[in-house]
Amino acid sequence: MTTRLKEDRSLPEKGFLFAVYVFVGLFALVSILPFWLVVVNSFASESSIKAYGMQLIPKEFSLYAYQFTMAGKQIASSYLVTITVTVVGTCLAVLITSMYAYTLAHPRVKYRRILSFMTYFTMVFGAGLVGFYILIANTLGLKDSLWALILPYMLNPFFAFIMVSFFRTLPYEINEAATIDGANDLSIFFRIILPISTPVIATVSLFYALQYWNDFYLALLFIDNYKLHPLQMMIRQIISNVNISSYVGGSSTLYSQAVPTYGVQLATVCLTIGPIVFLYPFIQRFFVKGITIGALKG
Amino acid sequence: MSFIREIAKNKYLYLLALPGLAFLIVFAYIPLNGHLIAFKKYRLADGLWGSKFVGFDNFKFFFMNGDWYKVTLNTLYLNGLFLVFGLGLALVLALFLNEIRQALFKKLAQSFIFMPYFISWLVVSMMAFSFLNTTDGMVNRTIESLGGEKINWYLKAEVWPAFLTLIYVWKFAGYYSIIFLAAITGISGEYYESAKIDGATRFQQIFHITLPLIRSVAIVLGLLGVGRIFYGDFGMIYGIIGDNSALYATTDVIDTYTFRALRVLGDFSKSSAVVLYQSVMGLITIIVFNQIARKLDKDSALF
Repeated sequence: MTTRLKEDRSLPEKGFLFAVYVFVGLFALVSILPFWLVVVNSFASESSIKAYGMQLIPKEFSLYAYQFTMAGKQIASSYLVTITVTVVGTCLAVLITSMYAYTLAHPRVKYRRILSFMTYFTMVFGAGLVGFYILIANTLGLKDSLWALILPYMLNPFFAFIMVSFFRTLPYEINEAATIDGANDLSIFFRIILPISTPVIATVSLFYALQYWNDFYLALLFIDNYKLHPLQMMIRQIISNVNISSYVGGSSTLYSQAVPTYGVQLATVCLTIGPIVFLYPFIQRFFVKGITIGALKG
Repeated sequence: MSFIREIAKNKYLYLLALPGLAFLIVFAYIPLNGHLIAFKKYRLADGLWGSKFVGFDNFKFFFMNGDWYKVTLNTLYLNGLFLVFGLGLALVLALFLNEIRQALFKKLAQSFIFMPYFISWLVVSMMAFSFLNTTDGMVNRTIESLGGEKINWYLKAEVWPAFLTLIYVWKFAGYYSIIFLAAITGISGEYYESAKIDGATRFQQIFHITLPLIRSVAIVLGLLGVGRIFYGDFGMIYGIIGDNSALYATTDVIDTYTFRALRVLGDFSKSSAVVLYQSVMGLITIIVFNQIARKLDKDSALF
């Protein structure tokens, strides 16, 4: 951004710059240390963890924790639940949110201020746990249904406002030209606006996907049937559950060794964050963009 | 009949908004009637309207036994720590990252620092456990190898506000530093050029140009945090602390308290009274602080 003049740094400034590099470098290392620890120890043998504790580089490696976890039925069904909820939820949420945001951003809509206020109000005065719980569990009867994990997150006011601020930047002439050509608002939105809005749609989709992937609150409230437990719930169960072996659900004849408790916990965590860490280099910039738009305009 | 005319004129646009609007009504507005339960003795069989009206009995229970004091204090104290240290360190990080000219180092460092934002609280909980568990955690093994005694961290309530703050900073410093950095890169380079010609040092540039110009962003972020100071992060606290009652003294926040009242005790009415108390306090806080912000700096007010 700036074309710098030739920098003639004094001694205290050099010292400061050195401190800056050290501080940022250390902060970065501390940020990824827990990732390293979890990933590398998921490949450690249970006896190595028991003998030496969690280590930066384990003494003894083993794939047994993964074999044990993957042999069970729970990881497959939890993966399926999480993927289903994330994919269906994200698609529906993005569709509903973008349609709603377009109307809120449209200058011809007279009641857009009222709609905006209705949306904003839910952020400052919430219904809270009890009303929400009764609605999902009793009124809608969604206990032990995957819809209980999908429906409550379909319109996030914050993401809606990110989209509103994007739609407002589109030139209104597009709209006028299409109207003269005889297109109605529905076809303008789906045929013209959506295709040119891919950057913001990608950003908001990823925010929604991350929310669905990482959520355990809804499952904690509404899912008792372990066959419908998403991955996050599986982690919670194997952290707190005494009987890991029956929960993970492998056939008992397969195992002559003891259940690798730490191993299963760490392996499940790695399998859960795997897709995120793998996609991270590609998706990071979309999040940065979304956060920036949301913060500066919201 | 201007209402009908407006709807008819823009029928397709309102049609587009309809699913979203229906969602808000069903999932955000209808559940508001749950607040009524705070004044009733709720029984599932009687339903919301059939249950007996009991006035303020549910509130009395919460306020008389001292719970309200404990959970309110914990919520405010923890959120206060998160806000001060979270935003403070993010600001320092953003200022520092802005000083770094080595592009690769900067990019890598930023990627690493932002990464914890992407994982769930249960994964964080497992990571914390890898460090802190009594027998095999890295912290205790290190203490032991240095000749010290193992410490059972999961029974020591007094250390958890510090641990939780550390975890919060670890998870969100990257997120907030992106916001600060965006504000910093938005500052015109001309300011720095002319400051340099006048002989200003880097420190002077930071203190007299950068900081004053990102003040309103900092105020907005602070305000958003203060506005939500009555809302504990349920996912964080419950994900990490769970049902470990040994740590409730310092970590039980309003949100975990109402969750237990509902899911463990099955007491809808008591839980609802606490929720209403929280919602009202939250609303008052945001209105008050918005007024203060408007006085300080007109652009920083949220509404």
